[in-house]
Amino acid sequence: MKRFRQRPGEISEFSDLPLWQKADTIDLLYVGYGLLIVSLVVASYLLGALQWLPHDPNALNLNLLLAGPGTPGHLLGTDFMGRDLLTRLVLGIQAYFLPGLMAVASALFGGTVLGVVAGYRGGGAGLIVTFLGNLIDSFPRLVLILLVIAAFKPDIWYIMAVIGISNVPAVASLVQGKIAMLREKNFIEAAVALGLPTRTIIAKHILWYNCKALLIIQATLGMAEAILMETSLSYLGFGVQEPTPSWGNMVQSGANYFLQGNLWPSTAPALAILFTILGFHLLGDGLNNLLEGKRGR
Amino acid sequence: MTFFLLIGVSVVVFVILYLAPGDPFSVLLEGEMPTEAAREGIRQAMGVPTTWYSQYFAWLGKMLVGDFGTSIRTGMPVLPELLRVGWNTLVLTGGAMLVTLLVAVPVALYSAVRGVTLISWPLTILAYVISALPLFWLGYLVLYVAMRHFGIFPFAFASLGSEPKLIYFLLPILVLGLGSGAISEVVRHLREESSRVLDEEYVRTARAKGASVWRHAFKEGFLLPVTAIMATKVPFLIGGAIIVEQVFNWPGMGRMAWQAAQDRDYPVIMAIAIAAALLVRIGTLVQRVVYVTVNPRASQE
Repeated sequence: MKRFRQRPGEISEFSDLPLWQKADTIDLLYVGYGLLIVSLVVASYLLGALQWLPHDPNALNLNLLLAGPGTPGHLLGTDFMGRDLLTRLVLGIQAYFLPGLMAVASALFGGTVLGVVAGYRGGGAGLIVTFLGNLIDSFPRLVLILLVIAAFKPDIWYIMAVIGISNVPAVASLVQGKIAMLREKNFIEAAVALGLPTRTIIAKHILWYNCKALLIIQATLGMAEAILMETSLSYLGFGVQEPTPSWGNMVQSGANYFLQGNLWPSTAPALAILFTILGFHLLGDGLNNLLEGKRGR
Repeated sequence: MTFFLLIGVSVVVFVILYLAPGDPFSVLLEGEMPTEAAREGIRQAMGVPTTWYSQYFAWLGKMLVGDFGTSIRTGMPVLPELLRVGWNTLVLTGGAMLVTLLVAVPVALYSAVRGVTLISWPLTILAYVISALPLFWLGYLVLYVAMRHFGIFPFAFASLGSEPKLIYFLLPILVLGLGSGAISEVVRHLREESSRVLDEEYVRTARAKGASVWRHAFKEGFLLPVTAIMATKVPFLIGGAIIVEQVFNWPGMGRMAWQAAQDRDYPVIMAIAIAAALLVRIGTLVQRVVYVTVNPRASQE
Protein backbone atom coordinates (compact mmCIF):
# COMPACT_ATOMS: atom_id res chain seq x y z
CA MET A 1 0.00 0.00 0.00
CA LYS A 2 2.80 2.36 0.91
CA ARG A 3 3.91 2.43 -2.67
CA PHE A 4 0.96 4.58 -3.65
CA ARG A 5 1.66 7.33 -1.19
CA GLN A 6 4.63 8.35 -3.26
CA ARG A 7 3.81 11.52 -5.12
CA PRO A 8 4.67 11.77 -8.79
CA GLY A 9 7.60 13.86 -9.84
CA GLU A 10 11.18 14.18 -8.70
CA ILE A 11 11.84 13.09 -5.14
CA SER A 12 14.34 15.48 -3.68
CA GLU A 13 17.37 14.40 -1.76
CA PHE A 14 15.96 16.22 1.25
CA SER A 15 12.52 14.62 1.22
CA ASP A 16 11.59 13.11 4.54
CA LEU A 17 10.49 9.83 3.03
CA PRO A 18 12.35 6.89 4.55
CA LEU A 19 15.52 5.97 2.72
CA TRP A 20 14.17 2.85 1.10
CA GLN A 21 11.23 4.73 -0.40
CA LYS A 22 13.08 7.50 -2.10
CA ALA A 23 15.78 5.14 -3.39
CA ASP A 24 15.97 3.78 -6.90
CA THR A 25 14.64 0.25 -7.22
CA ILE A 26 17.88 -0.83 -8.84
CA ASP A 27 19.97 0.33 -5.89
CA LEU A 28 17.69 -1.53 -3.51
CA LEU A 29 18.11 -4.64 -5.65
CA TYR A 30 21.90 -4.27 -5.54
CA VAL A 31 21.94 -3.80 -1.79
CA GLY A 32 19.47 -6.63 -1.25
CA TYR A 33 21.55 -9.04 -3.28
CA GLY A 34 24.71 -7.88 -1.53
CA LEU A 35 23.22 -8.36 1.92
CA LEU A 36 22.01 -11.83 0.89
CA ILE A 37 25.55 -12.78 -0.14
CA VAL A 38 27.10 -11.30 3.00
CA SER A 39 24.71 -13.22 5.25
CA LEU A 40 25.36 -16.41 3.28
CA VAL A 41 29.10 -15.95 3.70
CA VAL A 42 28.80 -15.27 7.42
CA ALA A 43 26.45 -18.23 7.92
CA SER A 44 28.76 -20.53 5.97
CA TYR A 45 31.74 -19.29 7.93
CA LEU A 46 29.98 -20.14 11.19
CA LEU A 47 28.92 -23.56 9.88
CA GLY A 48 32.50 -24.26 8.89
CA ALA A 49 33.89 -23.00 12.18
CA LEU A 50 31.46 -25.19 14.13
CA GLN A 51 32.16 -28.18 11.86
CA TRP A 52 28.48 -28.54 11.05
CA LEU A 53 29.06 -29.82 7.56
CA PRO A 54 27.07 -32.28 5.46
CA HIS A 55 30.14 -34.43 4.81
CA ASP A 56 33.70 -34.90 5.99
CA PRO A 57 35.61 -32.50 3.70
CA ASN A 58 38.46 -34.98 3.27
CA ALA A 59 36.41 -38.18 2.96
CA LEU A 60 37.29 -39.84 -0.33
CA ASN A 61 34.63 -41.63 -2.29
CA LEU A 62 36.40 -43.47 -5.06
CA ASN A 63 33.14 -44.84 -6.47
CA LEU A 64 31.85 -41.37 -7.13
CA LEU A 65 34.55 -39.29 -8.79
CA LEU A 66 33.70 -36.03 -10.56
CA ALA A 67 29.95 -36.39 -10.02
CA GLY A 68 27.84 -33.59 -11.40
CA PRO A 69 25.58 -31.33 -9.36
CA GLY A 70 22.39 -32.89 -8.12
CA THR A 71 23.87 -36.30 -7.34
CA PRO A 72 21.93 -37.88 -4.47
CA GLY A 73 23.80 -37.23 -1.24
CA HIS A 74 26.11 -34.69 -2.86
CA LEU A 75 24.10 -31.60 -3.73
CA LEU A 76 26.87 -29.95 -5.73
CA GLY A 77 28.60 -33.14 -6.81
CA THR A 78 32.12 -34.32 -6.00
CA ASP A 79 35.64 -33.45 -7.09
CA PHE A 80 38.36 -35.62 -8.66
CA MET A 81 38.90 -37.54 -5.43
CA GLY A 82 35.22 -37.97 -4.68
CA ARG A 83 35.17 -35.30 -1.99
CA ASP A 84 31.91 -33.43 -1.49
CA LEU A 85 32.09 -30.05 -3.26
CA LEU A 86 29.47 -28.27 -1.18
CA THR A 87 31.31 -29.13 2.03
CA ARG A 88 34.59 -27.94 0.59
CA LEU A 89 33.04 -24.74 -0.72
CA VAL A 90 31.60 -23.94 2.69
CA LEU A 91 34.89 -24.75 4.36
CA GLY A 92 36.80 -22.68 1.79
CA ILE A 93 35.41 -19.53 3.38
CA GLN A 94 37.64 -20.17 6.40
CA ALA A 95 40.61 -19.36 4.20
CA TYR A 96 39.73 -15.72 3.70
CA PHE A 97 37.08 -14.72 6.23
CA LEU A 98 39.05 -13.71 9.32
CA PRO A 99 42.18 -12.56 7.44
CA GLY A 100 40.00 -10.50 5.13
CA LEU A 101 38.24 -8.88 8.08
CA MET A 102 41.62 -8.07 9.57
CA ALA A 103 42.81 -6.49 6.32
CA VAL A 104 39.65 -4.39 6.13
CA ALA A 105 39.81 -3.37 9.78
CA SER A 106 43.44 -2.29 9.58
CA ALA A 107 42.83 -0.35 6.36
CA LEU A 108 39.86 1.46 7.91
CA PHE A 109 41.62 2.17 11.19
CA GLY A 110 44.87 3.37 9.66
CA GLY A 111 43.08 5.28 6.93
CA THR A 112 40.75 7.04 9.36
CA VAL A 113 43.56 8.12 11.68
CA LEU A 114 45.72 9.34 8.80
CA GLY A 115 42.76 10.97 7.07
CA VAL A 116 41.65 12.85 10.19
CA VAL A 117 45.16 14.12 10.81
CA ALA A 118 45.58 15.17 7.19
CA GLY A 119 42.10 16.69 7.01
CA TYR A 120 42.51 18.68 10.20
CA ARG A 121 46.12 19.69 9.80
CA GLY A 122 45.99 20.08 6.03
CA GLY A 123 49.11 21.32 4.25
CA GLY A 124 52.11 19.04 4.78
CA ALA A 125 50.13 16.14 6.25
CA GLY A 126 47.83 16.23 3.24
CA LEU A 127 50.80 16.11 0.88
CA ILE A 128 52.21 13.13 2.74
CA VAL A 129 48.95 11.22 2.35
CA THR A 130 48.90 11.96 -1.39
CA PHE A 131 52.53 10.89 -1.72
CA LEU A 132 51.95 7.64 0.18
CA GLY A 133 48.92 6.95 -1.96
CA ASN A 134 50.87 7.43 -5.17
CA LEU A 135 53.74 5.36 -3.80
CA ILE A 136 51.50 2.41 -2.92
CA ASP A 137 49.67 2.68 -6.24
CA SER A 138 52.99 2.35 -8.06
CA PHE A 139 53.13 -1.31 -7.13
CA PRO A 140 50.74 -3.79 -8.63
CA ARG A 141 49.28 -5.45 -5.53
CA LEU A 142 50.14 -8.94 -6.66
CA VAL A 143 53.78 -8.00 -7.28
CA LEU A 144 54.04 -6.43 -3.83
CA ILE A 145 52.53 -9.54 -2.27
CA LEU A 146 54.90 -11.84 -4.17
CA LEU A 147 57.79 -9.69 -2.92
CA VAL A 148 56.63 -10.09 0.66
CA ILE A 149 56.11 -13.81 0.14
CA ALA A 150 59.66 -14.15 -1.16
CA ALA A 151 61.05 -12.12 1.74
CA PHE A 152 59.04 -13.71 4.53
CA LYS A 153 56.89 -16.75 3.87
CA PRO A 154 53.66 -17.56 2.04
CA ASP A 155 51.32 -16.86 4.93
CA ILE A 156 47.79 -15.54 4.61
CA TRP A 157 48.24 -13.10 7.51
CA TYR A 158 51.25 -11.45 5.87
CA ILE A 159 49.33 -11.24 2.60
CA MET A 160 46.34 -9.65 4.28
CA ALA A 161 48.59 -7.23 6.17
CA VAL A 162 49.95 -6.08 2.82
CA ILE A 163 46.44 -5.63 1.45
CA GLY A 164 45.36 -3.79 4.59
CA ILE A 165 48.33 -1.44 4.60
CA SER A 166 48.11 -0.78 0.90
CA ASN A 167 44.48 0.30 1.26
CA VAL A 168 45.29 2.79 4.01
CA PRO A 169 46.11 5.78 1.74
CA ALA A 170 42.93 5.32 -0.32
CA VAL A 171 40.73 5.41 2.78
CA ALA A 172 42.77 8.27 4.20
CA SER A 173 42.29 10.46 1.14
CA LEU A 174 38.53 9.80 1.15
CA VAL A 175 38.24 10.73 4.83
CA GLN A 176 40.46 13.74 4.25
CA GLY A 177 38.28 14.94 1.39
CA LYS A 178 35.15 14.47 3.47
CA ILE A 179 36.60 16.46 6.34
CA ALA A 180 37.74 19.26 4.04
CA MET A 181 34.14 19.47 2.82
CA LEU A 182 32.60 19.26 6.30
CA ARG A 183 34.79 21.93 7.83
CA GLU A 184 32.95 24.54 5.78
CA LYS A 185 29.57 23.45 7.12
CA ASN A 186 27.67 25.42 9.71
CA PHE A 187 27.11 22.61 12.16
CA ILE A 188 30.81 22.05 12.60
CA GLU A 189 31.34 25.76 13.16
CA ALA A 190 28.47 25.67 15.62
CA ALA A 191 30.06 22.76 17.45
CA VAL A 192 33.34 24.64 17.63
CA ALA A 193 31.56 27.78 18.81
CA LEU A 194 29.76 25.79 21.49
CA GLY A 195 33.17 24.87 22.83
CA LEU A 196 32.93 21.15 22.25
CA PRO A 197 36.29 19.45 22.58
CA THR A 198 37.94 18.63 19.25
CA ARG A 199 37.89 14.97 20.21
CA THR A 200 34.08 14.98 20.40
CA ILE A 201 33.71 16.88 17.16
CA ILE A 202 35.93 14.44 15.31
CA ALA A 203 34.59 11.26 16.83
CA LYS A 204 30.91 12.13 16.95
CA HIS A 205 30.06 14.84 14.45
CA ILE A 206 32.54 14.00 11.76
CA LEU A 207 33.27 10.30 11.93
CA TRP A 208 30.10 8.88 13.40
CA TYR A 209 27.47 11.07 11.76
CA ASN A 210 29.17 11.74 8.45
CA CYS A 211 31.84 9.17 7.63
CA LYS A 212 29.99 6.03 8.71
CA ALA A 213 28.51 5.40 5.27
CA LEU A 214 31.79 6.06 3.52
CA LEU A 215 33.65 3.65 5.79
CA ILE A 216 31.04 0.91 5.39
CA ILE A 217 31.28 1.24 1.62
CA GLN A 218 35.06 1.05 1.77
CA ALA A 219 34.77 -2.02 3.99
CA THR A 220 32.64 -3.90 1.46
CA LEU A 221 34.94 -3.00 -1.43
CA GLY A 222 38.01 -3.88 0.65
CA MET A 223 36.53 -7.26 1.52
CA ALA A 224 35.90 -7.94 -2.18
CA GLU A 225 39.53 -7.17 -2.92
CA ALA A 226 40.75 -9.36 -0.07
CA ILE A 227 38.69 -12.29 -1.33
CA LEU A 228 39.92 -11.81 -4.89
CA MET A 229 43.54 -11.67 -3.68
CA GLU A 230 43.20 -14.72 -1.47
CA THR A 231 41.67 -16.79 -4.25
CA SER A 232 44.28 -15.57 -6.76
CA LEU A 233 47.13 -16.47 -4.42
CA SER A 234 45.64 -19.84 -3.53
CA TYR A 235 45.33 -20.40 -7.25
CA LEU A 236 49.01 -19.53 -7.70
CA GLY A 237 49.86 -21.96 -4.90
CA PHE A 238 50.89 -19.44 -2.23
CA GLY A 239 47.73 -19.47 -0.19
CA VAL A 240 46.03 -22.36 1.53
CA GLN A 241 47.54 -25.72 0.57
CA GLU A 242 45.74 -28.92 -0.35
CA PRO A 243 44.02 -30.82 1.25
CA THR A 244 42.64 -27.79 3.11
CA PRO A 245 40.12 -26.30 0.72
CA SER A 246 40.15 -22.73 -0.54
CA TRP A 247 38.21 -21.52 -3.56
CA GLY A 248 41.40 -20.66 -5.39
CA ASN A 249 43.12 -24.00 -4.92
CA MET A 250 39.86 -25.80 -5.75
CA VAL A 251 39.82 -24.11 -9.17
CA GLN A 252 43.48 -24.94 -9.61
CA SER A 253 43.22 -28.60 -8.61
CA GLY A 254 40.25 -29.09 -10.91
CA ALA A 255 42.02 -27.45 -13.84
CA ASN A 256 43.45 -30.60 -15.44
CA TYR A 257 40.05 -32.25 -15.35
CA PHE A 258 38.56 -29.03 -16.67
CA LEU A 259 40.68 -29.21 -19.79
CA GLN A 260 39.68 -32.85 -20.24
CA GLY A 261 36.04 -31.85 -20.27
CA ASN A 262 34.95 -32.17 -16.62
CA LEU A 263 34.09 -28.54 -16.24
CA TRP A 264 32.18 -28.65 -12.99
CA PRO A 265 34.78 -29.17 -10.21
CA SER A 266 36.63 -26.00 -11.27
CA THR A 267 33.53 -24.08 -12.22
CA ALA A 268 31.72 -24.52 -8.90
CA PRO A 269 34.35 -22.60 -6.86
CA ALA A 270 34.75 -20.10 -9.71
CA LEU A 271 31.02 -19.38 -9.54
CA ALA A 272 31.26 -19.07 -5.77
CA ILE A 273 34.00 -16.46 -6.24
CA LEU A 274 31.97 -14.70 -8.92
CA PHE A 275 28.75 -14.45 -6.92
CA THR A 276 30.53 -13.43 -3.75
CA ILE A 277 32.68 -10.71 -5.32
CA LEU A 278 29.66 -9.51 -7.28
CA GLY A 279 27.68 -9.33 -4.05
CA PHE A 280 30.29 -7.21 -2.29
CA HIS A 281 30.74 -4.92 -5.31
CA LEU A 282 27.01 -4.38 -5.76
CA LEU A 283 26.55 -3.84 -2.04
CA GLY A 284 29.26 -1.20 -2.09
CA ASP A 285 27.96 0.57 -5.19
CA GLY A 286 24.33 0.35 -4.09
CA LEU A 287 25.13 1.76 -0.66
CA ASN A 288 27.19 4.46 -2.30
CA ASN A 289 24.20 5.53 -4.39
CA LEU A 290 21.80 5.29 -1.46
CA LEU A 291 23.81 6.93 1.28
CA GLU A 292 26.19 9.25 -0.51
CA GLY A 293 23.67 10.26 -3.16
CA LYS A 294 25.92 9.73 -6.15
CA ARG A 295 24.18 9.09 -9.42
CA GLY A 296 27.07 7.97 -11.54
CA ARG A 297 25.97 4.85 -13.31
CA MET B 1 57.37 14.01 -8.33
CA THR B 2 58.07 10.92 -10.39
CA PHE B 3 61.66 11.05 -9.20
CA PHE B 4 60.68 11.10 -5.52
CA LEU B 5 58.18 8.33 -6.09
CA LEU B 6 60.82 6.14 -7.68
CA ILE B 7 63.14 6.78 -4.73
CA GLY B 8 60.22 5.85 -2.49
CA VAL B 9 59.66 2.68 -4.49
CA SER B 10 63.26 1.61 -4.03
CA VAL B 11 63.07 2.37 -0.29
CA VAL B 12 59.91 0.25 0.09
CA VAL B 13 61.48 -2.68 -1.74
CA PHE B 14 64.68 -2.37 0.28
CA VAL B 15 62.89 -2.12 3.62
CA ILE B 16 60.79 -5.22 2.95
CA LEU B 17 63.87 -7.22 2.09
CA TYR B 18 65.83 -5.72 4.98
CA LEU B 19 63.16 -6.75 7.47
CA ALA B 20 63.04 -10.28 6.12
CA PRO B 21 64.28 -12.93 8.52
CA GLY B 22 67.67 -14.41 7.71
CA ASP B 23 69.88 -13.02 5.00
CA PRO B 24 71.30 -14.48 1.82
CA PHE B 25 74.62 -15.00 3.56
CA SER B 26 73.24 -17.73 5.80
CA VAL B 27 73.34 -19.92 2.70
CA LEU B 28 77.13 -19.73 2.70
CA LEU B 29 77.27 -20.80 6.32
CA GLU B 30 75.13 -23.86 5.86
CA GLY B 31 76.05 -26.73 8.10
CA GLU B 32 77.79 -24.54 10.66
CA MET B 33 76.35 -22.78 13.62
CA PRO B 34 75.90 -19.26 12.24
CA THR B 35 77.52 -17.13 14.90
CA GLU B 36 77.52 -13.37 14.66
CA ALA B 37 81.28 -13.36 14.25
CA ALA B 38 81.15 -15.77 11.33
CA ARG B 39 78.53 -13.66 9.60
CA GLU B 40 80.55 -10.54 10.15
CA GLY B 41 83.61 -12.27 8.70
CA ILE B 42 81.77 -13.29 5.56
CA ARG B 43 80.31 -9.83 5.12
CA GLN B 44 83.74 -8.27 5.36
CA ALA B 45 85.32 -10.88 3.13
CA MET B 46 82.76 -10.14 0.44
CA GLY B 47 82.94 -6.40 0.93
CA VAL B 48 79.30 -5.99 1.92
CA PRO B 49 78.55 -2.86 3.94
CA THR B 50 77.16 -3.49 7.38
CA THR B 51 74.97 -0.53 8.20
CA TRP B 52 71.55 -0.41 6.65
CA TYR B 53 71.97 2.91 4.91
CA SER B 54 75.28 2.04 3.31
CA GLN B 55 73.71 -1.24 2.17
CA TYR B 56 70.86 0.72 0.67
CA PHE B 57 73.06 3.17 -1.17
CA ALA B 58 75.37 0.43 -2.42
CA TRP B 59 72.33 -1.42 -3.77
CA LEU B 60 70.81 1.71 -5.29
CA GLY B 61 74.10 2.68 -6.92
CA LYS B 62 74.51 -0.74 -8.49
CA MET B 63 70.94 -0.66 -9.72
CA LEU B 64 71.40 2.72 -11.36
CA VAL B 65 74.23 1.37 -13.50
CA GLY B 66 72.05 -1.59 -14.47
CA ASP B 67 73.43 -4.20 -12.10
CA PHE B 68 70.48 -5.97 -10.53
CA GLY B 69 72.62 -8.78 -9.18
CA THR B 70 72.48 -12.43 -10.12
CA SER B 71 69.61 -14.83 -9.68
CA ILE B 72 70.09 -17.18 -6.73
CA ARG B 73 68.43 -20.03 -8.62
CA THR B 74 70.13 -19.84 -12.01
CA GLY B 75 73.25 -17.84 -11.14
CA MET B 76 72.65 -15.66 -14.21
CA PRO B 77 72.56 -11.85 -14.14
CA VAL B 78 69.01 -10.65 -13.60
CA LEU B 79 68.83 -7.74 -15.99
CA PRO B 80 69.20 -9.44 -19.43
CA GLU B 81 66.70 -12.09 -18.42
CA LEU B 82 64.30 -9.45 -17.13
CA LEU B 83 64.53 -7.47 -20.36
CA ARG B 84 63.89 -10.60 -22.39
CA VAL B 85 60.74 -11.67 -20.54
CA GLY B 86 59.72 -8.07 -19.86
CA TRP B 87 59.17 -7.64 -23.58
CA ASN B 88 56.69 -10.54 -23.57
CA THR B 89 54.82 -8.96 -20.69
CA LEU B 90 54.74 -5.62 -22.48
CA VAL B 91 53.20 -7.33 -25.51
CA LEU B 92 50.65 -9.01 -23.28
CA THR B 93 49.62 -5.95 -21.27
CA GLY B 94 49.80 -3.59 -24.23
CA GLY B 95 47.64 -5.88 -26.31
CA ALA B 96 45.23 -6.31 -23.43
CA MET B 97 44.97 -2.55 -23.11
CA LEU B 98 44.10 -2.34 -26.79
CA VAL B 99 41.43 -5.03 -26.42
CA THR B 100 39.96 -3.21 -23.43
CA LEU B 101 39.77 0.04 -25.38
CA LEU B 102 38.35 -1.61 -28.49
CA VAL B 103 35.50 -3.02 -26.43
CA ALA B 104 34.95 -0.22 -23.95
CA VAL B 105 35.20 2.90 -26.10
CA PRO B 106 32.34 2.16 -28.54
CA VAL B 107 30.06 1.14 -25.68
CA ALA B 108 30.90 4.24 -23.66
CA LEU B 109 30.52 6.64 -26.58
CA TYR B 110 27.29 5.02 -27.68
CA SER B 111 25.71 5.45 -24.28
CA ALA B 112 27.17 8.95 -23.90
CA VAL B 113 25.50 10.07 -27.14
CA ARG B 114 22.27 8.14 -26.86
CA GLY B 115 21.82 8.34 -23.11
CA VAL B 116 20.67 5.39 -21.03
CA THR B 117 18.78 3.06 -23.32
CA LEU B 118 17.47 -0.45 -23.13
CA ILE B 119 20.78 -2.02 -24.06
CA SER B 120 22.90 -0.05 -21.61
CA TRP B 121 21.20 -1.90 -18.77
CA PRO B 122 22.35 -5.43 -19.60
CA LEU B 123 25.73 -3.94 -20.50
CA THR B 124 26.11 -2.51 -17.00
CA ILE B 125 25.29 -5.85 -15.42
CA LEU B 126 27.64 -7.61 -17.82
CA ALA B 127 30.42 -5.20 -16.85
CA TYR B 128 29.86 -5.98 -13.17
CA VAL B 129 29.90 -9.72 -13.83
CA ILE B 130 33.07 -9.59 -15.90
CA SER B 131 34.93 -7.56 -13.34
CA ALA B 132 33.99 -10.11 -10.66
CA LEU B 133 34.92 -13.15 -12.74
CA PRO B 134 38.10 -14.88 -11.58
CA LEU B 135 40.65 -14.37 -14.33
CA PHE B 136 42.14 -17.86 -14.01
CA TRP B 137 38.81 -19.53 -14.60
CA LEU B 138 38.12 -17.36 -17.64
CA GLY B 139 41.56 -18.39 -18.90
CA TYR B 140 40.75 -22.09 -18.50
CA LEU B 141 37.42 -21.62 -20.22
CA VAL B 142 39.08 -20.02 -23.24
CA LEU B 143 41.75 -22.74 -23.25
CA TYR B 144 39.08 -25.41 -23.13
CA VAL B 145 37.07 -23.92 -25.97
CA ALA B 146 40.20 -23.43 -28.06
CA MET B 147 41.29 -27.02 -27.51
CA ARG B 148 37.91 -28.65 -27.93
CA HIS B 149 36.50 -26.71 -30.81
CA PHE B 150 39.48 -25.38 -32.67
CA GLY B 151 42.04 -28.05 -31.86
CA ILE B 152 44.78 -25.63 -30.85
CA PHE B 153 46.84 -25.77 -27.69
CA PRO B 154 47.59 -22.17 -26.77
CA PHE B 155 49.45 -23.06 -23.60
CA ALA B 156 52.20 -24.76 -25.60
CA PHE B 157 53.39 -21.32 -26.63
CA ALA B 158 56.51 -21.48 -24.46
CA SER B 159 57.84 -24.62 -26.14
CA LEU B 160 56.92 -23.47 -29.60
CA GLY B 161 60.33 -21.97 -30.18
CA SER B 162 61.10 -19.53 -32.91
CA GLU B 163 57.82 -19.35 -34.74
CA PRO B 164 54.92 -18.41 -32.52
CA LYS B 165 51.64 -18.32 -34.35
CA LEU B 166 49.40 -15.33 -34.02
CA ILE B 167 46.60 -17.21 -32.30
CA TYR B 168 48.86 -18.22 -29.40
CA PHE B 169 49.43 -14.55 -28.80
CA LEU B 170 45.86 -13.49 -29.23
CA LEU B 171 44.11 -15.76 -26.74
CA PRO B 172 45.96 -14.66 -23.57
CA ILE B 173 45.75 -11.04 -24.68
CA LEU B 174 42.02 -11.43 -25.20
CA VAL B 175 41.57 -13.03 -21.78
CA LEU B 176 43.52 -10.33 -19.98
CA GLY B 177 41.85 -7.53 -21.90
CA LEU B 178 38.34 -8.81 -21.27
CA GLY B 179 38.78 -10.19 -17.79
CA SER B 180 40.97 -7.70 -15.96
CA GLY B 181 37.97 -5.64 -14.88
CA ALA B 182 39.29 -2.52 -16.59
CA ILE B 183 36.50 -2.51 -19.15
CA SER B 184 33.72 -1.58 -16.77
CA GLU B 185 35.73 1.27 -15.29
CA VAL B 186 36.72 2.65 -18.68
CA VAL B 187 33.09 2.53 -19.80
CA ARG B 188 31.86 4.24 -16.67
CA HIS B 189 34.48 6.99 -16.62
CA LEU B 190 34.45 7.71 -20.34
CA ARG B 191 30.65 7.77 -20.50
CA GLU B 192 30.40 10.26 -17.65
CA GLU B 193 33.10 12.54 -19.01
CA SER B 194 31.91 12.41 -22.61
CA SER B 195 28.32 13.17 -21.78
CA ARG B 196 29.47 16.00 -19.53
CA VAL B 197 31.61 17.52 -22.29
CA LEU B 198 28.89 17.04 -24.91
CA ASP B 199 26.66 19.23 -22.76
CA GLU B 200 29.20 22.04 -22.51
CA GLU B 201 28.48 25.38 -24.10
CA TYR B 202 31.39 25.33 -26.53
CA VAL B 203 30.31 21.99 -27.95
CA ARG B 204 26.79 23.27 -28.31
CA THR B 205 28.13 26.31 -30.14
CA ALA B 206 30.10 24.07 -32.45
CA ARG B 207 27.02 22.01 -33.12
CA ALA B 208 24.99 25.14 -33.83
CA LYS B 209 27.61 26.41 -36.27
CA GLY B 210 27.46 23.09 -38.03
CA ALA B 211 31.10 22.34 -37.21
CA SER B 212 32.22 18.84 -36.36
CA VAL B 213 31.19 18.11 -32.79
CA TRP B 214 33.73 15.40 -32.31
CA ARG B 215 36.62 17.54 -33.40
CA HIS B 216 35.76 19.99 -30.66
CA ALA B 217 34.90 17.46 -28.01
CA PHE B 218 37.73 15.06 -28.81
CA LYS B 219 40.42 16.35 -26.46
CA GLU B 220 38.33 17.05 -23.41
CA GLY B 221 35.69 14.38 -23.91
CA PHE B 222 37.80 11.50 -25.15
CA LEU B 223 41.58 11.85 -24.94
CA LEU B 224 41.81 13.05 -21.35
CA PRO B 225 39.39 10.58 -19.74
CA VAL B 226 40.83 7.63 -21.65
CA THR B 227 44.44 8.36 -20.73
CA ALA B 228 43.47 9.16 -17.14
CA ILE B 229 41.63 5.90 -16.57
CA MET B 230 44.14 3.75 -18.47
CA ALA B 231 47.01 5.15 -16.41
CA THR B 232 45.30 4.04 -13.22
CA LYS B 233 44.64 0.60 -14.73
CA VAL B 234 48.29 -0.21 -15.53
CA PRO B 235 49.00 -1.84 -12.13
CA PHE B 236 45.83 -3.92 -12.40
CA LEU B 237 46.83 -5.12 -15.85
CA ILE B 238 50.29 -6.10 -14.64
CA GLY B 239 48.76 -7.92 -11.68
CA GLY B 240 46.35 -9.69 -14.02
CA ALA B 241 49.25 -10.56 -16.31
CA ILE B 242 50.78 -12.64 -13.50
CA ILE B 243 47.65 -14.80 -13.43
CA VAL B 244 47.20 -15.02 -17.19
CA GLU B 245 50.86 -15.89 -17.75
CA GLN B 246 50.46 -18.68 -15.24
CA VAL B 247 47.38 -20.07 -16.99
CA PHE B 248 48.78 -19.85 -20.51
CA ASN B 249 52.37 -20.66 -19.63
CA TRP B 250 53.38 -17.32 -21.15
CA PRO B 251 57.08 -16.69 -20.56
CA GLY B 252 56.84 -13.20 -19.09
CA MET B 253 57.61 -11.15 -16.01
CA GLY B 254 54.64 -12.58 -14.14
CA ARG B 255 55.82 -16.17 -14.44
CA MET B 256 59.30 -15.04 -13.51
CA ALA B 257 57.89 -13.33 -10.41
CA TRP B 258 55.94 -16.46 -9.53
CA GLN B 259 59.02 -18.64 -9.90
CA ALA B 260 61.11 -16.20 -7.89
CA ALA B 261 58.56 -16.12 -5.06
CA GLN B 262 58.59 -19.93 -5.00
CA ASP B 263 62.37 -20.08 -4.79
CA ARG B 264 62.66 -17.01 -2.57
CA ASP B 265 64.96 -15.62 -5.23
CA TYR B 266 65.42 -12.12 -3.78
CA PRO B 267 67.34 -10.36 -6.56
CA VAL B 268 64.86 -11.45 -9.21
CA ILE B 269 61.72 -10.46 -7.34
CA MET B 270 63.28 -7.14 -6.30
CA ALA B 271 64.13 -6.34 -9.91
CA ILE B 272 60.63 -7.27 -11.02
CA ALA B 273 59.01 -5.11 -8.35
CA ILE B 274 61.16 -2.15 -9.42
CA ALA B 275 60.43 -2.78 -13.10
CA ALA B 276 56.69 -3.05 -12.49
CA ALA B 277 56.68 0.17 -10.48
CA LEU B 278 58.68 1.83 -13.26
CA LEU B 279 56.07 0.77 -15.82
CA VAL B 280 53.28 2.15 -13.65
CA ARG B 281 55.11 5.45 -13.23
CA ILE B 282 55.71 5.65 -16.99
CA GLY B 283 51.98 5.17 -17.54
CA THR B 284 51.23 8.05 -15.17
CA LEU B 285 53.88 10.19 -16.81
CA VAL B 286 52.36 9.63 -20.25
CA GLN B 287 48.98 10.62 -18.87
CA ARG B 288 50.53 13.74 -17.35
CA VAL B 289 52.23 14.69 -20.62
CA VAL B 290 48.99 14.30 -22.56
CA TYR B 291 47.19 16.37 -19.97
CA VAL B 292 49.71 19.20 -20.10
CA THR B 293 49.80 19.18 -23.90
CA VAL B 294 46.04 19.49 -24.09
CA ASN B 295 45.86 21.90 -21.21
CA PRO B 296 48.99 24.09 -21.23
CA ARG B 297 47.82 26.11 -18.25
CA ALA B 298 48.37 23.07 -16.05
CA SER B 299 52.10 23.05 -16.77
CA GLN B 300 52.57 25.99 -14.45
CA GLU B 301 51.56 23.92 -11.44
